Amino acid sequence: MKVIVIGGGWAGCAAAIAAKKAGAQVVLYEKTDMVLGLGNVGGIMRNNGRYTAAEELIALGAGNLINITDSNTRHKNIDFPGHKHAWLYDVNKIEPAARRHLKDMGIELNMISRVVDIKKEEDKIKGLYLADGSYEEGDVFIEATGSTGPMGNCLRYGNGCSMCVLRCPAFGPRVSISMRAGVDDLQGEREDDILGAFSGSCKLCKESLDEDIVKELNEKGCVVIKVPEEDVNMDKLKAKVCQQYALKEFAENIVLLDTGHVKLMTSYYPLDKLRKIKGLENAKYIDPYAGGKGNSIRYLSVAPRTDDMRVKGISNLFCGGEKSGLFVGHTEAICTGSLAGHNAVRYFLGIPPLVLPKTTVIGDIIAYANYKMMTKEGRRNRYTFAGAEYFKRMQEIGLYSTDREEIRGRIEKLNLLDVMNQKLV
Amino acid sequence: MDYEIKDCIDAGSAYCPCHLAETGDCIVCSQLSGKTFCDCVNWKGVCIYQEYILNNKKAKVGRDGYLCKIIKKEVYDDKLYVLTINASRNLVHELIYPGSFIFIRNPQTSTYYDTPISIMEADTKENTLKIAIELRGIKTKCICKLNEDEKVLIRGPFWNGVLGLKNIYKAKEGVSIVIARGIGTAPGAPVLKKLYANGNKVISIVDKTPFTNIFGKEYFEMCNSEILQCKMLKDGELSNEFKTILQQILKVENVNLIHCDGPDILIYELLDFVGDSVNFSCCNNSKMCCGEGVCGTCSTRYKNRVVKRLCKVQIDPKHVFKERRLI
Repeated sequence: MKVIVIGGGWAGCAAAIAAKKAGAQVVLYEKTDMVLGLGNVGGIMRNNGRYTAAEELIALGAGNLINITDSNTRHKNIDFPGHKHAWLYDVNKIEPAARRHLKDMGIELNMISRVVDIKKEEDKIKGLYLADGSYEEGDVFIEATGSTGPMGNCLRYGNGCSMCVLRCPAFGPRVSISMRAGVDDLQGEREDDILGAFSGSCKLCKESLDEDIVKELNEKGCVVIKVPEEDVNMDKLKAKVCQQYALKEFAENIVLLDTGHVKLMTSYYPLDKLRKIKGLENAKYIDPYAGGKGNSIRYLSVAPRTDDMRVKGISNLFCGGEKSGLFVGHTEAICTGSLAGHNAVRYFLGIPPLVLPKTTVIGDIIAYANYKMMTKEGRRNRYTFAGAEYFKRMQEIGLYSTDREEIRGRIEKLNLLDVMNQKLV
Repeated sequence: MDYEIKDCIDAGSAYCPCHLAETGDCIVCSQLSGKTFCDCVNWKGVCIYQEYILNNKKAKVGRDGYLCKIIKKEVYDDKLYVLTINASRNLVHELIYPGSFIFIRNPQTSTYYDTPISIMEADTKENTLKIAIELRGIKTKCICKLNEDEKVLIRGPFWNGVLGLKNIYKAKEGVSIVIARGIGTAPGAPVLKKLYANGNKVISIVDKTPFTNIFGKEYFEMCNSEILQCKMLKDGELSNEFKTILQQILKVENVNLIHCDGPDILIYELLDFVGDSVNFSCCNNSKMCCGEGVCGTCSTRYKNRVVKRLCKVQIDPKHVFKERRLI
């Protein structure tokens, strides 16, 4: 059986790994020349409830990518406003490590290959068309094309292309596969009925910052600097996708994290204002290159799905990552992607799909985000283990834990230990 | 490969976005054709929507007209005119690509007389354009009345004179077949040059009809091309002689492209005969008046109410006739 994964971000990679482990032949198409997509400028793992989710993934037998981020960590267990025990992976080392892992597993990687359309027969996808017109057939398909861009969306719903790591102009933008298959996309909203949301952070070039700041970052992983009072902009928080970082502290302060580059925890920040801050007088953006003007726009392309990650209306299309809901973050993408990959194989074999119970954080967030997507208020929220509405829920229902043994025990009790490690074919 | 890639020849050029964007009829961009989300199936390297917004939601300024001097006029068989025209350096440089054409008319006449004519040769050293005009109707007669040293009115540059351009650029270091009938050598010459420059061995099959001699023989010779002569059409069908020649080449050589410059009936029959096995390109025989996607002269209609404005839409020849409505 041939599983085709479209999109090589965290979710796509996780899906490919899960499908491969279950015994399928896996082919992945990625439009750029790098896997991990936005993961190349991310870095934050295991903060707040993500710790629980990461451990669940390991217990479920889907811990490959978590092991890779763990082993490329620069700082462990750091706290910053609103966040505890965050691990920061090195964004300059993560991509080759992840790519090697996929290759070693025998996953076929097709880079600089943009999927633009599908061929459908009844409610089944037969094959895919690439931008050059070539055609590839498969048995099951997993869409992990994300919800960021293209440039036109970033312009209509944001401040225009800010030259982010996805590099649409160079490689061509994503195409919504589910929409091509005739399933309308859903959209996330922000205040005032505006669709979409800005990506939540930028990267500064470390060498452009003051020596003292760099030293502190290298040692502690995090630096918090006060914003001049006249420049505090609370409104900006509303536009942000990462609601776990849309806190008052993030408007009043500049929060910098060391992920190899310096992660600036704000969607965008005019360069001249940024340079007014002590120690940042020479600051320079490296992602997005025009971080002084805007950031990428996301959540305009969510596919309606069931809790086993199958796209409603197409029998052999699964989805993961942002494509599968208003999720924020790598951990969330790895969770949804892994389940999509695993269930793709189950679907082909005619085995009932794995729906994770709500007594796991992964199962619960997948079901909760899906339910919330149907409400107006729910479409204004984002769903992440790391904060905002969902982290609160995790704590309330007693799912939040940083005790590895406890989390493993929970999965064991559900008889799901290593379930995604088993070969099905 | 049955997937149709529909490009706009002007996308990303200095003339994009055009007025089709203003009315929500852009050929490429979903945001500029009635939708509010991106569906970027035909990415050409530039976000047309962004260009449009940055240009204050206006089309870019369209093509200009230029008064240019005819420096040489040659006549063959009383009905074939070859004009060498002096033009600006910029214009000549914009017209070096296969598929380049201009609208041309006698300055004494109105815009109704604008005639789309292929560029046979754009000489960037001498800043001249060479075009061939077959005397056919009112418009061509008015142009061919002009003499050396007189001025002619040119509007351009336009580029969609050849369909399947991608296939021409893809053909490298192999064997290509160029088929030309009559005046077809004119749009064929830049294609020949491109194929030759890309290291291909070019085999040409030429039908001199309706002229007494092979027109533009020097272009084939310049590209070291072998010329096989035959009559291509008989009673509206491919002649046996032509079919045999073609079959023999296809049997012996690994052909990377068949390019055909001739009437639609020839292209249609040829596509049918060759099938999907070889990449194809051909001259664009659409009737054109404005060349800007507005007047509708070049609109061809297809199944499911699809309309292609062939002055701008760049497609594979296989999709020119497929599911086309003739009435």
